[in-house]
Amino acid sequence: MAFTQAVKMHVGNVCGRSWMSSYQRGSTVMSQRQRDYGAVLCGRCQNSSQKLCPNSRAMHATRPLMITKLLSVDEIFARRSLQDYIKKMETEYRDSLTVVNMTEGQQDGVEELRVKRTRVSVLAPLIQYTRELQTKQQEFAETETLLKDDDPDMRDLAVLEREACQKAIQDVRQKILSLLIPEEESDMSDLVLEVTAGVGGQEAMLFTAEVFDMYQSFAAHQGWGFDILEYMKSEIGGLRHASASVSGPKSYKRMKFEAGVHRVQRVPKTEKQGRMHTSTMTVAVLPQPTEITFTINAKDLRIETKRASGAGGQHVNTTDSAVRIVHLPTGNLSQYNSARIRQWSMKLLFLYRFDLKPMAFYLCFGVIGVVSECQQERSQLKNKEKAMKVLRAKLYSMRLEEETSKRYTARKVQIGTKGRSEKIRTYNFPQDRITDHRILKTVHDVREFLVGEELLEEMNLALEEFSNQEILMDILGENNSDQ
Amino acid sequence: MWIRLRRPLKKVYNCFKPLKYGFIGHKWLCTSPCVAECVPALPTASRLTVEQAVKLWTGHFQQRGVSEPHLSSQYIIAHLLGAKTLEGIGQDRLAEFLTQEQTEQTWELCSRRLTRMPVQYVIEEWDFRDLTLKMRPPVFIPRPETEELVGLVLTDLQMKQGTGLSEETSFRCLEVGCGSGAISLSLLKSLPQLRAIALDKNKDAVDLTRENSHSLGFQDRLEVHHMDVMRDADIIVSMCSPVSVLVSNPPYLFSEDMISLEPEILRFEDHAALDGGKDGMQVMRHILTLAPKLLSNHGRVYLEVDPRHPQLIQQWVEESVEELDYLHTHRDITDRSGVNQTAICLLNNYIFKTFDQEMYSY
Repeated sequence: MAFTQAVKMHVGNVCGRSWMSSYQRGSTVMSQRQRDYGAVLCGRCQNSSQKLCPNSRAMHATRPLMITKLLSVDEIFARRSLQDYIKKMETEYRDSLTVVNMTEGQQDGVEELRVKRTRVSVLAPLIQYTRELQTKQQEFAETETLLKDDDPDMRDLAVLEREACQKAIQDVRQKILSLLIPEEESDMSDLVLEVTAGVGGQEAMLFTAEVFDMYQSFAAHQGWGFDILEYMKSEIGGLRHASASVSGPKSYKRMKFEAGVHRVQRVPKTEKQGRMHTSTMTVAVLPQPTEITFTINAKDLRIETKRASGAGGQHVNTTDSAVRIVHLPTGNLSQYNSARIRQWSMKLLFLYRFDLKPMAFYLCFGVIGVVSECQQERSQLKNKEKAMKVLRAKLYSMRLEEETSKRYTARKVQIGTKGRSEKIRTYNFPQDRITDHRILKTVHDVREFLVGEELLEEMNLALEEFSNQEILMDILGENNSDQ
Repeated sequence: MWIRLRRPLKKVYNCFKPLKYGFIGHKWLCTSPCVAECVPALPTASRLTVEQAVKLWTGHFQQRGVSEPHLSSQYIIAHLLGAKTLEGIGQDRLAEFLTQEQTEQTWELCSRRLTRMPVQYVIEEWDFRDLTLKMRPPVFIPRPETEELVGLVLTDLQMKQGTGLSEETSFRCLEVGCGSGAISLSLLKSLPQLRAIALDKNKDAVDLTRENSHSLGFQDRLEVHHMDVMRDADIIVSMCSPVSVLVSNPPYLFSEDMISLEPEILRFEDHAALDGGKDGMQVMRHILTLAPKLLSNHGRVYLEVDPRHPQLIQQWVEESVEELDYLHTHRDITDRSGVNQTAICLLNNYIFKTFDQEMYSY
């Protein structure tokens, strides 16, 4: 059932849709099994076998697969690279421990000693679990001999013990794997979620509103706080741009997989002729740093309120408490000559006049600097605080992106770190499926997904598992290249 | 003679001069003081959604030349529906129809706004920092610049708390001219150990401050007194001293500037809370003269003033009040041109230990 559905959908994509990009034709939604068959059926033929008909296309993937499949714990442990890595960690632990024990009481090389001590404390739990694994495996081996015993009761006991051992081994292996993956500094922080309507006009804005509601209920489902910082509506009830502050345990860790371009395929409400349209929206997830990790100098900021010119204080009574904060150093004005600046300002004027402020702000990004504004509250101070929150998150994420792009260019699939231009998910309403392109996972029931509870959580957990595995392979791969 | 909202609209407008200049090119251009006829009629046939009501009243306000038309209509209608701003109301709620009662209430409140009554008086509340305070004419409405004044005081007091200097003076502060109680109540909210005394010469302000302090639960930490700093100086000194902080947003407008104020302020707010005399410093001078008797050693005075005042204050304090030392002017950072900023003046108080000691140099 799923197979024919998937095939029909792919056919729908291929036949008579010349305007669709090769990206969409190529790598969407095919699981391993379908790729293996290598053939697609034309919608007009009622043929359900795999015979090629004249109008069909060979269904080869047009670009190399990004990720093959999720390996199980046992499979990972069967790999030699992991065993080598664990051995390497053990030798490192032993060496560090001997160094620490020898130089106890000595003052020389204090820095080195401190490094060794931290290594010991970091590696200790890992070593402890590997030793536990070894003991469990020995126990398991011992139960084998018991199985060959004559006494049936002993045999039953042996079977039970074997099962218990198996389970314990699995648990310990899982723990070892989780210890091997390093903790990212930003994983513990809260985040600022930003959604922006992309290509598709009013339909894109309507979809953006639905996705924002989905994330709001997801946050409620997870027990996180969801504080709306900005909300720019469109005329027919859609959403141009919105941002919210999400706070709670592991919020950034889970939500970072949502960043990227989400695509929707459906017949829009605004459509009179019933044609299907594709629209996009962008989600940006910005980690919110604490005061200590990231400070902004007040001199670098320009804070603008309504009363930019003209009297204030007791002279004026105003209810306009909107605040806009501009960060000055992030703009590089010097690289533009005056002619280009004139071009920029004409463009900005045009966009402002036609009320496309979000576009204007994004253009400003390179010229003036990072801007954030807020008019959600009645008190000016509260608006200023919210705008500062967004600004800090934006600047921090810019810094993080720079750092991670340097570090992780080697990784093929950078789940959550590639930036905002990666097309990550497609929501197809007629076929009632949602596909994540990074892990090629398909979930059904779009309505239920947009409610933002179990289905979204399921997708999120799958992404997390893939990401963890990828990081692990990366570490082991680095280990291999060293040798 | 101030407006009482309980009177019917017609009687209210008899107090004023003809308002025809306030209505720009309106088809119901009226020549009589009775404005009630010019209020747009209540819709009887069709019902309006929330969004339609907001748009309709924005149009009416624009036609009548009311300042900030869109914001006014947004805040009033959001308040009626129980939210603070229109963004706080969900998308689906915005497309819902208003009930008959809600429509009538909308019309009543927006008609008040048509008379240039400030939005804060129309909805009878406003936010200040993290508090929501009741507002009532003619008590002065707190301005956003005063939020910065409170921020400064808080930073200094929190530092003092850290160094342990607070114990000797039992950590008290005095506010002169409390109005709705905004400054004192914000300080009380952020500093749990603080005790505050608030004074105002207007009985309405004293009542409103007491009401706000009761609804926020600070009545046991705040004393409010009906006193005039210019006339009751001795009583104030005997009752209130010593305090570690004296804070005030005194009337600082120059008398000549009073005429050019917008109708929202001129017609509805207490002029005594705005007019500071010929040079705007009349009330300030009284406060500064009184300060050394009220403050403990190293106590501070924080004043919100007009941008033209800091120099004058500095000179006057040097000549007339020996114990006070001018510290610093904090300028409101939002205005880049530097001309129209409000300023916050800090002055430090030094008490002479004995009269034989040398004077402190400035």
